[in-house]
Amino acid sequence: MFDVNLIIKSLPMLLQASVWTVIYSLSSVAIGFCIGTLVCAAGLSSSRLGRGFSAFYVSFFRGVPLLVQLLISYYCLPLIGVNVPSSVAAVGTLALCTGAYLAEILRGGFLGIPPGLIEAARMVGLSRAKILTRIEVPLAVRLTLPSLVNETTMMVKASSLISVVGVLELTRLAQNIATSTFQPLEIYLTAGAIYFVINGAITLVGGFAESRFRLEKAR
Amino acid sequence: MTFNPAILTDNWREILDGMALTILIWAAGTAIGLVIGLAVAVLQLFTNRWLAAPLTLYVAVMRGTPFLIQLFVIYYGGPFFGLDLTPLTAGIAGLALYGGAYFSEIFRAGFLSVPPGQIEAARMMGIGRLDIVRHVQLPQMLVIILPALANMTVLLSKETAVLSVITVNELTSVVQSIGSTTFAFAETLLFLALVYWAFLEIVTAAARRLEKRVGRFMLRTPS
Amino acid sequence: MTATPDTGSRPIIDVRGVWKRFGTAEVLKGIDLAIRKSEVTCIIGPSGSGKSTLLRCIAFLEEYSEGEIYIEGELLGFSLENGKRRRVSDAEVARVRRNVGFVFQQFNLWPHMTALENVAMPLKLARGIAREDAEKRARRMLEKVGLGHRAEAYPSQLSGGQQQRVGIARALAMEPHIMLFDEPTSALDPELVGEVLQVMRDLAAEGMTMAVVTHEMGFAAQVADTVVFIDHGVIAASGSPQQVFRKDENPRLRQFLQNYFERNVFWQGAEDGAAP
Repeated sequence: MFDVNLIIKSLPMLLQASVWTVIYSLSSVAIGFCIGTLVCAAGLSSSRLGRGFSAFYVSFFRGVPLLVQLLISYYCLPLIGVNVPSSVAAVGTLALCTGAYLAEILRGGFLGIPPGLIEAARMVGLSRAKILTRIEVPLAVRLTLPSLVNETTMMVKASSLISVVGVLELTRLAQNIATSTFQPLEIYLTAGAIYFVINGAITLVGGFAESRFRLEKAR
Repeated sequence: MTFNPAILTDNWREILDGMALTILIWAAGTAIGLVIGLAVAVLQLFTNRWLAAPLTLYVAVMRGTPFLIQLFVIYYGGPFFGLDLTPLTAGIAGLALYGGAYFSEIFRAGFLSVPPGQIEAARMMGIGRLDIVRHVQLPQMLVIILPALANMTVLLSKETAVLSVITVNELTSVVQSIGSTTFAFAETLLFLALVYWAFLEIVTAAARRLEKRVGRFMLRTPS
Repeated sequence: MTATPDTGSRPIIDVRGVWKRFGTAEVLKGIDLAIRKSEVTCIIGPSGSGKSTLLRCIAFLEEYSEGEIYIEGELLGFSLENGKRRRVSDAEVARVRRNVGFVFQQFNLWPHMTALENVAMPLKLARGIAREDAEKRARRMLEKVGLGHRAEAYPSQLSGGQQQRVGIARALAMEPHIMLFDEPTSALDPELVGEVLQVMRDLAAEGMTMAVVTHEMGFAAQVADTVVFIDHGVIAASGSPQQVFRKDENPRLRQFLQNYFERNVFWQGAEDGAAP
């Protein structure tokens, strides 16, 4: 029998755990965004070293399965003397990984900015750093908002993998309940539904932000 | 930290088996996924809405939930429906269903990229709907969607690593268990990363070449 | 019409023997040009003649390949060490051209900021002016170009003419000593050209030093102190509007002007405008 009571009973706990899922994935996107901006800036710079590093970074973090990256940070960080809580290591790994994807997305955004807008900023005397933070990043974000929202939903999904290295979040808790109740179907379906709702909400907010920040507003 | 590559060479047979299984899972998952994707796209576009609605939900759910949870539902939840799958079958089925959802979106975009005038023209000649798909739409759209299909196929090869969680003995699982029995985590896991990385680079480069060749081929034949 | 050019002092802009090459293409071939305080210089010429490139070199939006450009006595973009040219840092470039305002053909307003923010942001970030003062000055500048009531509008909500006036206000807010205009009306619908030219006329009347690359011969004839005709990367003719428009014998210039005579009637206005 499909046990609806079990779902109702475990829903509060699952929802609580899903808060961690949201925290872990959103903070990894936030950190990853900073990483992605830097990697992308290096990739678009005139320095050969910078471009080389950027290409290497993107290739590596997109070329290795996230699960393997998580295993490496979980098992190998202590070997080189880095002892951080597994949740910190996991979020850091998620951030490094999404940083590579975000760098590629932002690259498209930066290249889509009309060069005249940068020239105008140079002509009023803005420094390179201010041009980056006040003109280029805001414009690149607006140009790439749909992809950025999509990447955020990808990270919500990817955060389920950190359960494998023992971090408590939605998937991990679902596993714990499933193994103790022997009713995995109900629990995993519920967990899946919660992920689905989280991503639906993110997509909704993203759509709202898109219409709010659309660069070409109707006159 | 010591580094002892002998751990890898000592277990080369198991590692090769793992690699072979990974590639098998990837190939099977992609092949079935492509079939699912094409079928879903055709049914969504060319049948009534009562059939299309549940398919749209299927695509949304597969894209909106973690692959790991999908695997858990299929593998651990399967027995509830009388589906007692082995880890390998459950894994391949999961990968195919997951990839199928993404492939269907790509196919759908491809169908919509063929000018409707051509389909009307074929219809006026009395060609059947499925024949139009096969002879008019598919050949044209394949060139357009090939990069997206190739990209998704490459992405699926990375997802195969997740199957280790439901105890499929693919590459990640094999190497990880060597690591935990010998405590040689650094050697095994870095090796694992390098193998995937090299594999991904090769597959990506191959996809690029394929795209170029197909592009050239299409340019030669007047459309 | 305009304030009397101050011919005695050192030029604000001094262009000496400037060459610009893009690969093997020679776009500017030895340009000499001096612009003095309160002078309005209009640069005309066929498209592809190099007139915009010259203006962009003066702003150092393009690096000139050879020669020297001095802004208020300081060499722009390079330092000379034992006769060798060396590119200076971006910060140093910004310092030398801090008194140069630039108005773009495509306006280049930042689309994610309102008109007011477009004008106020550089004041805050490049000049370190406190927010309130920056916004006050920005509002004043928008009023000056007749757009005080549109301060909160985003660029996409403004007409082309309004956008260009915001562009002018943005440059003016930095209190430049010279304003460079790169075909400021070329991207505008014909009925919007007038409002922008009027703002520029007012500026000239106030004594602003201006260099204007333009196709508006009427404006050049009425407002300019000097008209410079550039053709194939060299200054083929220059002088007062009267000299250039009426007396010059250069056949290329005659041909160029002929095209305009045929399409536009402007000489009536120029008659009294050009007379000192």
